[in-house]
Amino acid sequence: MTAKTRYFLFGSVLILTVGLSIGLVAFYGGMAGSLFAGQQSLAELKYVPADAAVVAYANVREVMNSQMRQRLRQVDGMTDQGRSEFKDQTGIDIEQDIDHVVAFMGAKGSTGNRSGLVVATGRFDQGRLEALAIEHGAKVEQYKGKKLVSALADKAHPGDTAHPAGTAPEASMAVAFLGPNLVAMGGIDMVRQSIDRAGGSTSVQGNADLMKLVGEMNDASVWAVGNFDVFRAEVKLPSEVSDRIPSITWFSASGHVNGGMQATVKAETKDKEAADNLRDIIRGFTALARMQTGSNPELQKLMPDIQLGGDGKIVSVSFALTTEMLDAIVAARGAAGAIKKSQPKPTAKQ
Amino acid sequence: MSDTHFDPIAPAVPPAAPAVPPAAMTVPPAGPGAAAAPRQAPPFLSAAMRVFDLSLGQMLWSRRTIFLGLLVGSPLALGILFRVLEMLGVGGDVKMGGAAVSGPTVFGGMIWLLYLRFIVPVLGIFYGTALIADEVDDKTITYLFVRPISRSAILVGKYLAYLVTTVFVVLPSVVILYLLVVPLGHGSLAESFPALLKDLGLLGVGLASYGALFALIGALFKYPLVTGLVFAFGWEQIALILPGYLRRLTMAYYLQALVPHAMPQDGLGGALQALFRDVPSPTVSLIWLCGYVVVFLALAGRIVERREYVLEQ
Repeated sequence: MTAKTRYFLFGSVLILTVGLSIGLVAFYGGMAGSLFAGQQSLAELKYVPADAAVVAYANVREVMNSQMRQRLRQVDGMTDQGRSEFKDQTGIDIEQDIDHVVAFMGAKGSTGNRSGLVVATGRFDQGRLEALAIEHGAKVEQYKGKKLVSALADKAHPGDTAHPAGTAPEASMAVAFLGPNLVAMGGIDMVRQSIDRAGGSTSVQGNADLMKLVGEMNDASVWAVGNFDVFRAEVKLPSEVSDRIPSITWFSASGHVNGGMQATVKAETKDKEAADNLRDIIRGFTALARMQTGSNPELQKLMPDIQLGGDGKIVSVSFALTTEMLDAIVAARGAAGAIKKSQPKPTAKQ
Repeated sequence: MSDTHFDPIAPAVPPAAPAVPPAAMTVPPAGPGAAAAPRQAPPFLSAAMRVFDLSLGQMLWSRRTIFLGLLVGSPLALGILFRVLEMLGVGGDVKMGGAAVSGPTVFGGMIWLLYLRFIVPVLGIFYGTALIADEVDDKTITYLFVRPISRSAILVGKYLAYLVTTVFVVLPSVVILYLLVVPLGHGSLAESFPALLKDLGLLGVGLASYGALFALIGALFKYPLVTGLVFAFGWEQIALILPGYLRRLTMAYYLQALVPHAMPQDGLGGALQALFRDVPSPTVSLIWLCGYVVVFLALAGRIVERREYVLEQ
């Protein structure tokens, strides 16, 4: 072997070693959290319990200001009336005053029900909101240094024999001002627990499985991650459907909203075989949809290109809802409306 | 090859021993001690390693390496282009079928479409079919065959040289591509690392199996290059989309079972493959591929041993 050949092999091994070392260091977390990981951890996550079943996020301002929303407004014929009324009452302009919201669905409580909480970041007129709440019979109290506005419901409903007056469960809503720009809304117990949690109790930030999914969300405008079993139970899919869905442990969905929306749905299955089965199901549905729309160019315009991906136990589906598709939806609705108008009105039966 | 030069294939002899003409290599050489201990042919493995040592340099520094460099350089150029565009903020996200995809998906697609479906078979064809054919074309095969080593050891030595040459060029390029492409669209190097390891192993197995197959084709057919191209880009493509058992007569059928990434749906062919998908388990695939390597090399060695090579004058 000549020296030239030896140098070549040495160089090759060097590249392999350096590359694999970088990958290995990243794999064991050295760089994953800083250089190569996705979204910076949201401060609001400290209010989310470790056993949260589903966590969701929406960049309200980005969604509200997106071209996609403007187009959807055209499609649905939305007006500003509701928004204006809400602003008049609360002083909150949804488009301008709310930056983003984090919401979660908690684990089942003793009653067997799940409760959730929404934490919104933005600019809120605390005094005005308190006054409005008191005006509607709410009670303002201090809880661990945070102002809590709650509408207690400990009155028995007429005819409620199971819960006489004073013994009814507290199923009331509460709003807590967690910070100058931070508001939590939800069941009073959940709001109190979230305040406790921020004071040092365990939060979702300690749930490695869920935080791994949250970390993958990058700079998505909207996303949701969670335990698929909970989703399956809550949605109550028909047994014919749920029996055929391969075992999924975690799921995540994210969307980047701009002119259109680029969405990615990921599922983590129990094993690789289940992932392969799920891919087969998706391929089958995609092929079926393509065949169905193949003969109709108008429908083809509405059919997004679906990209199947993922490694091992992960299955991901990406698709884009483009501006052209939104335009096609507007055109289709317009055409449908025109046909409806042109049809003769049915005459009343004699 | 001059008789006065050092011959790396011949068994080690004392430097003082006089050189012998190729035709007389089986004759015990004259020299001190030679009469007492006649020179023995080296064992198979030792002979193969000697041929490997000689062929590695020849293969690495041949004109074919330029082709190899271009071939593995094109995905890297594409990766660099993606990174530059992302750094400049031009072009936005990488898209597949209109949907923005993250770096790991792009990397998986490149491994499947560029490396496994194109680069690995092409390297197998161009190097594998030339293992013996090049020596025949250059009329140098006589110099190898007159050595006191088995012909199949020559084939195995050359095959190992092919494997080292291609593996040491392809795998570093994949690692560089991983570093370039995976971080695109906030992709995580950490998450893709296990898939990278599988990809590297998979490409090694692919190069070994395609190399063995085309070594057999090179030993068997008069025009191995054409036959190899027809097999890789004709037969394999058709058989994979046909229902039934024909796909089992392809390498890609077993290789695709080892791919850690979901196969991209590349048009009608991909859709048909998805419809008739019947992927063996990774263990079964590995057993078949290793079996192919052994069987093809054994058959190629047997053919080379028995075949009479007539050099055109």
